[in-house]
Amino acid sequence: MSLTHERIEGLAPDQASLAAARKLLKTPSWPTLAQGDGLIWGECQGSGATPYRVVVSEDDVGYKCTCPSRKFPCKHTLALMWMRVDRSTSFVSATVPDWVKDWLSRRRGSSTPGKKAEDKDQPKPRPSIRLAEMPEATADADPKAERRAAAARERNRLEREAAVLAGLDELDVWLADQVQRGVANFVAQAARACRTIAQRLVDAKASGLAGRLDALPSRLFTLPGPARPSAALRELGQVHLISQAYRRASQLPELLAADARQAVGWSVTRDALLNDSEALRAAAKWRVFAVLSEAQPDRLRRVETWLCRENDGNPACAVLIDFVPNSTGAAAGGYLVGDEIDAELTFYRSSVPLRAQITKLNRGAEQSRRPFTSPMEGLGTSYANYEQALARLPWLGTMPLTFRSASVRRHGEQLYLHDEQSELSLPLDPSLATHALPLAALDRIDGIGLWNGYEFTMAWAETRIGRWLRS
Amino acid sequence: MNLTDLRAKVLPSLITGTSRHALPRDLIRPSDPASDGVLEMLSLVGQALRFERPPTPESFTIEPEIRDERKILADSLRRPLIRLLAAKNSTEHPARALARTFDRMRLRPHPFDLPLMEGFVRSHAEKLGPTAQHWADRQKPQDEAKSYFDPQALDESNWTQAALERRVAYLERRRSDDADGARALVESNWAQEDADARFRLLQVFETRLSLADQPFLNSLEKDRAPRVRATAAKFLARLGAGGGNPALRACLERIKQGQSGLLRKRTVLQLELPANVKDQVASRWIRQTFADASFAELAGAFKIAERELIEASGKDGSLLLALALLATSERRLDLLELVVEHLPNAWEKMAESGLDTLGTMTEPERKSWTEIIVHPYGQELPAAYFLWDWLHRVTDATAPASVLSILLKARFLTKIPERERGSSGPWLEVIAATCPAPERSELREQLAQFDPSPTVSPLLLLDILDGMERDPAHV
Repeated sequence: MSLTHERIEGLAPDQASLAAARKLLKTPSWPTLAQGDGLIWGECQGSGATPYRVVVSEDDVGYKCTCPSRKFPCKHTLALMWMRVDRSTSFVSATVPDWVKDWLSRRRGSSTPGKKAEDKDQPKPRPSIRLAEMPEATADADPKAERRAAAARERNRLEREAAVLAGLDELDVWLADQVQRGVANFVAQAARACRTIAQRLVDAKASGLAGRLDALPSRLFTLPGPARPSAALRELGQVHLISQAYRRASQLPELLAADARQAVGWSVTRDALLNDSEALRAAAKWRVFAVLSEAQPDRLRRVETWLCRENDGNPACAVLIDFVPNSTGAAAGGYLVGDEIDAELTFYRSSVPLRAQITKLNRGAEQSRRPFTSPMEGLGTSYANYEQALARLPWLGTMPLTFRSASVRRHGEQLYLHDEQSELSLPLDPSLATHALPLAALDRIDGIGLWNGYEFTMAWAETRIGRWLRS
Repeated sequence: MNLTDLRAKVLPSLITGTSRHALPRDLIRPSDPASDGVLEMLSLVGQALRFERPPTPESFTIEPEIRDERKILADSLRRPLIRLLAAKNSTEHPARALARTFDRMRLRPHPFDLPLMEGFVRSHAEKLGPTAQHWADRQKPQDEAKSYFDPQALDESNWTQAALERRVAYLERRRSDDADGARALVESNWAQEDADARFRLLQVFETRLSLADQPFLNSLEKDRAPRVRATAAKFLARLGAGGGNPALRACLERIKQGQSGLLRKRTVLQLELPANVKDQVASRWIRQTFADASFAELAGAFKIAERELIEASGKDGSLLLALALLATSERRLDLLELVVEHLPNAWEKMAESGLDTLGTMTEPERKSWTEIIVHPYGQELPAAYFLWDWLHRVTDATAPASVLSILLKARFLTKIPERERGSSGPWLEVIAATCPAPERSELREQLAQFDPSPTVSPLLLLDILDGMERDPAHV
């Protein structure tokens, strides 16, 4: 069974999908286009932080895309098929990468090319490629309308600024109440207390602070009981710091002010970031060392793809953050731990630049089994860097830490990453208690992980018996 | 103001509440005249705490030293192995085949993979080497911890430290070469053995049982484990020592003796089942009733030779089943072969009886045993999944090449009954798990004719087994 335009039309869920796919028929959107063993695959830079990975089996038109779309097949899959049929783009012959093999191994045999269930009462028009190829009617730009829209945007911004400031005043009152009653008391009723103020902050359009407070109870309850009041105190203290920094943004260094605005909830769109000529950019080979996925209270899943630079340079690490609806069932981003990416990243403005977007992919990601070549620092140095970063950005969240010749040690049920030289012992994330236990039998391990101020999530370790990975 | 001051003077107020424990006014210097400075103190203390380094515990647990001389499975096989063991709706057969191959090839899973295959490690720890055993035992109390040692070759000095299965195999060899020496070894460590080990080590006395064993067997009359006492009594009865075997008496009460033949009178035996034993549970009753009797005792009771006992029972299926079970438990394959001549469906009957172990039979013996009970079926192999499932569980070995060759030539897999086709996965898994290495390529060809879905695990299993046996990259 080979791909044809008719077949693509038959698969397309609707005309809009074909129209959207047509916009992706440009080679720059596809840093990787490859073929082999009856399969075609590619990586397409979409609106997410990580490119979407698409694979299509030419034999039976089975497909998979990592995008969160609920249309099957999605526009990326349709575009990949379309480019294949058009033969206008060359697909490089390559060995099948691991992520494609992984998909193949999970397939439940070949799907029979059955007809889509059709609503007999209301037959839908068959999507048409010819229709999708017709140029879209574009309205002539109307300068007056543009000015009106700009004015409306500015009015909205001012209204939001006012709403946020009012919300921060409410937050101050709430914080003062918690301190008056005592942080220990707050821990006991954190879920209810945080829910109430989070809702008010959502109304005040301070979604960043709202999310932080909404997630606070569950974060506290992952900690041992005696550690909770102290942790709550730190978290509430940071919330107040953010609130104060936002109010006094004009007195702060530019980057810290940008951090405060982002922490409160002002987002920077991908386009705005890429158009920001002063944003920090770094072109390098990066290695994915961790992919974390967490369901949020707002029915979105936050997927963090952590990258570490393969050679000297700053920033040494970066994180790509995607938000996908929980309902799509996607628990991970497009990249797998161990993937090597040759790309230019653009970092969001921050006094500790970590969050980034891929600006340009020089080639598709490749799974690599080579050990890290990055210059790993010992835990002592790495932790000192963390402390310096904390001084620059007081509400700093998670930060990568590297370690050399460290060991995993056990005290009761709790595991620690222990560095003899600096005498530092970082408690490991309890969810790793079983998975990281085999490391306790080894010594002199090098690696990298994520420190959130409470627990160390070991992500990658090179040992004498091979590589240990968190996932 | 330093962190000590903050901890001592400010932290208690923030934790318990400023309404109960007011903040010391002299420490507060608000940056804004409109503020009372309380929230600034909250941020200050919170930030100061963030700069505190996490405390190091006073001591760490000392991890036990594990001497594991096995090679670690090649990297290329690790992911497929985990995927296979994590497959949903999988039967236990692939895991059994893998555990056997780990043991036979002296391989061990990668230590980092142990958390990803908990169930497999717990079920087959003995076959996976000392590191896996330690992993499986990690939650046991400290006093139950043992040394984890798995040397290539066992001798008198180290045999007590190895896994029980290897110890039994070692003792078995010693019994064959030097029965008295083997008994002395068992006696020297008997007090330290747990009930399961005592039972399995005692079963080895089946090999070259002699009057020299009698004093030791007598000493077991007061063993704490009933199954150890029963086994010792059975051996003593066989030696003609001890009191009469009550189990034998119970059997004899149910066997009716007669004569047949006109010119030469021959003994004819018949087993009479109790009236309350229904047909569907008869096999189980027979196995339980004859469990503690022995072939020799039974023949002796009728004053005939063992082979004559089979002839005499030749027309009674129930008694033949009892003899087949006795021959199996006593590893008398010569007798089993004679019994099966009269009882060609011994396979089905023994499976129905609930027999769940072949005791201390060696692997070659298990294969011979399989051939004896399967060959009477010829090309017409039984198409009931439970029989193949039982055969693999009870033998825990690959099938003899002769059996697989019949199965493949007869294209048995394509003849799976229609009602079982829908779930052919278990069928294919059990056949793949029992397939000897030379037959794997032929089996692969036959699997290619099935729907891909149920063949995923069986084909993966065959690939992994091939890799374990041939991949030179084990480290």
